Amino acid sequence: MANRETDYLIVGCSAAGVSAAEHIRAADPRGRVLVVGDEPHAAYGRPLISHLVKGEIAEDLIGFKDARFFESRAIETLLGPSFKAVELDAGAHRAVLENGDSVAYQSCLIATGSAPVLPPIGGLDGRSNVFQFRTLDQAKRVRRAAVEAAAKAHARGRMSRALVVGAGLVGLKAAEALCCLVDDVVVVGRAPRILRAVLDERGSSMLQEALNRHGISCLTGVSVDKLVGGGPSVASAVLTNGDAIDCDLVVLAAGMKPNAELAVRAGAAQARGLACGADLRTSLPDVYAAGDVAQVTEGLDEMRQPLALWPNAVRQGKVAGKFMAGTPDAQPLTGDFAVNAVDFFGTPLLTSGVVNPPDDGGFDVLTRAEGSEYAKFVAKDDRLVGYILLNRPTNAGIYTALIERRVPLSSLKGDLFDRVPLNLDFPADRRWERLHIGYPRELDERGWRRGL
Amino acid sequence: MKRIYAIETWCVYCKRCEVACKTFHSASKDAVRALAVEYPVPQSRVRVEGDRHLSVAVNCRHCPDPKCVEGCISGAMTKNPATGVVTSDPAKCVGCRTCVSLCPFGCVHIEDAGGKSIAFKCDLCGDGRGEPGEPSCVAACPNRALVYVESEER
Repeated sequence: MANRETDYLIVGCSAAGVSAAEHIRAADPRGRVLVVGDEPHAAYGRPLISHLVKGEIAEDLIGFKDARFFESRAIETLLGPSFKAVELDAGAHRAVLENGDSVAYQSCLIATGSAPVLPPIGGLDGRSNVFQFRTLDQAKRVRRAAVEAAAKAHARGRMSRALVVGAGLVGLKAAEALCCLVDDVVVVGRAPRILRAVLDERGSSMLQEALNRHGISCLTGVSVDKLVGGGPSVASAVLTNGDAIDCDLVVLAAGMKPNAELAVRAGAAQARGLACGADLRTSLPDVYAAGDVAQVTEGLDEMRQPLALWPNAVRQGKVAGKFMAGTPDAQPLTGDFAVNAVDFFGTPLLTSGVVNPPDDGGFDVLTRAEGSEYAKFVAKDDRLVGYILLNRPTNAGIYTALIERRVPLSSLKGDLFDRVPLNLDFPADRRWERLHIGYPRELDERGWRRGL
Repeated sequence: MKRIYAIETWCVYCKRCEVACKTFHSASKDAVRALAVEYPVPQSRVRVEGDRHLSVAVNCRHCPDPKCVEGCISGAMTKNPATGVVTSDPAKCVGCRTCVSLCPFGCVHIEDAGGKSIAFKCDLCGDGRGEPGEPSCVAACPNRALVYVESEER
C-alpha cells in the first residue's frame, strides 16, 4: 500500500481520459498527471476490437497514441486490475485503488466509460464459452474461442455457429467479425429491428438483407430465454419464442450503461449518466466527468443523455481537461451530437442526429433510395438535424457541418440531398470563408498581393 | 504553416491538379501509367468541383483543430504538432469513415489501397508523416488558381 499524490487524477485510460490528459499537459507543463485504468492496456482504439477479431489489425497497431505518448508528456499511468479505482472521497480529494493504494488529488476526472448490461438470461453463470465484448482482452478471448470452435466442429464434420445477443452496433460488429471465423452467425435482438437507435425501418431492413447475404441471420423481436448445455459449455440457446439454436459460443452485446458506480457511491448526482454542466463538472467538488459515463446536453433537441461515441468522448475529454487545468481558452461543451460511422462487409453506414423523428414534431423528412443506396435527411425549421447514409458516404461531413453550424437550408443552392454534397453548394461568400482558413491578409480574392 | 488556397476566379475546370496529384502519389510517377494501368489505383487528393462555368479545386484545409483527427478511432489520422500537416497512417487506418463523416469539406475519401480500403487525403506532397513538400497540384495549375502560401493559422 502506497500513499500517492497527484495534481490531476484521471480514472480511465481510453478516449476521454487520454484526451483530457493530453490537454491538461498542454495547458499545465508542470502539474502532476496520473491516469489509472483497470485494463492492462494503455490507450487502445476500443472500436477496433472487432477488427482485431477479424484479423484486420494486429494487436501492436491498436494503440491510438504513439508508443511514447505518456512518457514524452510525463504523464504517469497505473494500469491493470489492481489499479482499478474502487473508492472516491471527493470531500477529502482522495481515491483508493484496488490494491489499497490511496491517491490524493487536486482535481479528478471520471472517464470510466460504459459497462455492459447483462441480459436476463438463464444459465448464464459459470460458462466457458460465453463472452462479453468490450475490452481488448475479451476480444482476444472471443477470437481464440471462435477459431477453436470452428476447428473442433469441422473435425466432427459439422458446421460451427456463434450466437450474438444484441443487435446494436457492438453486437453487429462482433457478428461481422465472427463471420470470418465460424461458418454461421445468428444475432438475436430484443428490439423489433436491428440498429434501432441509429437507423429507421427501411435502413434496418436493407442492412439486415446485406448481413444475411454474408451469412449473418438476424432474429429480431425475440430474446434468449436460457442457455443450455451440460458442464460449463453452452450447447444451445432457447429463445423466448420456444425455438432452440445450437451454438458453439455466445457473445453478449445487449447494451451498455454508464459505468458511474465509483462516482455515484461517492455521492455524485446521476441521471442517465453522471449529471454535469457544460464545463463537465459533476455535482462533487473538483470531480469532472467525460465520455460514455457523462450525461451531456445534446445540441439538437436539448435532450440530456450520454453520447457514448468515440469522437464525443475525445471532445469531452478535451473540454474537461481544459477546465481542470483552468486554461483561459476552455470552452464549454455545447451543441454535441452523435455521428456514427460504421462499415459492414464494405457497406458503409453513416448516421447522425435525429433519424426517427416523431410524426408530430414538425420535422421534414426526405428519403432517396437507389439500388443498394439509401439516404434519409431530417430537417426542422430550415435546419438539417439528422441523416442516414447507407452506402452513400461521399462528402458526408458536409452534411454533418450543416447540422453542426445550423446552416439555413434555404441559403444553399442546388439539390445537395439528391447527390454528393459539395462546397459549391454554399453561397460564394460562405464558400470563401469556409475554404480560406488563415488566408493571408496581404492577398486579395484573386490570389494577388493587395495594391498591385 | 503554408496552406494551399483555391482561387475560384481562375479555375477553368481543367483538372490538371488532379492528374498531378495522382501522378505524384503513384508508384511509377508517370501520368499515363498512373491513370491507366497502375494498381492500387493512385488516388487524387484534390477534387475539382463544378463545371466549366464555375469550379473550385478543393483539398484538405489542414484545420487548426481538425475534426478528422479528433474523431479517428484508430489514431491513424494525426496533425503533426511541429508542421501542422494532417496525415493518415495507412498501416493504422481501418477505413471506418469516421473522418469522412466529420470533415466539413469532403476532403477525406476511403479508397482501395490494394485489398484494403483506407483514408486518402492531401499530405502536401510531403513524406506522408507530416513533413510538407512542394504540392504538385499547385505546380501543375496553369492558371494560378491554386496558391501555396504562408497561412495566418497554425
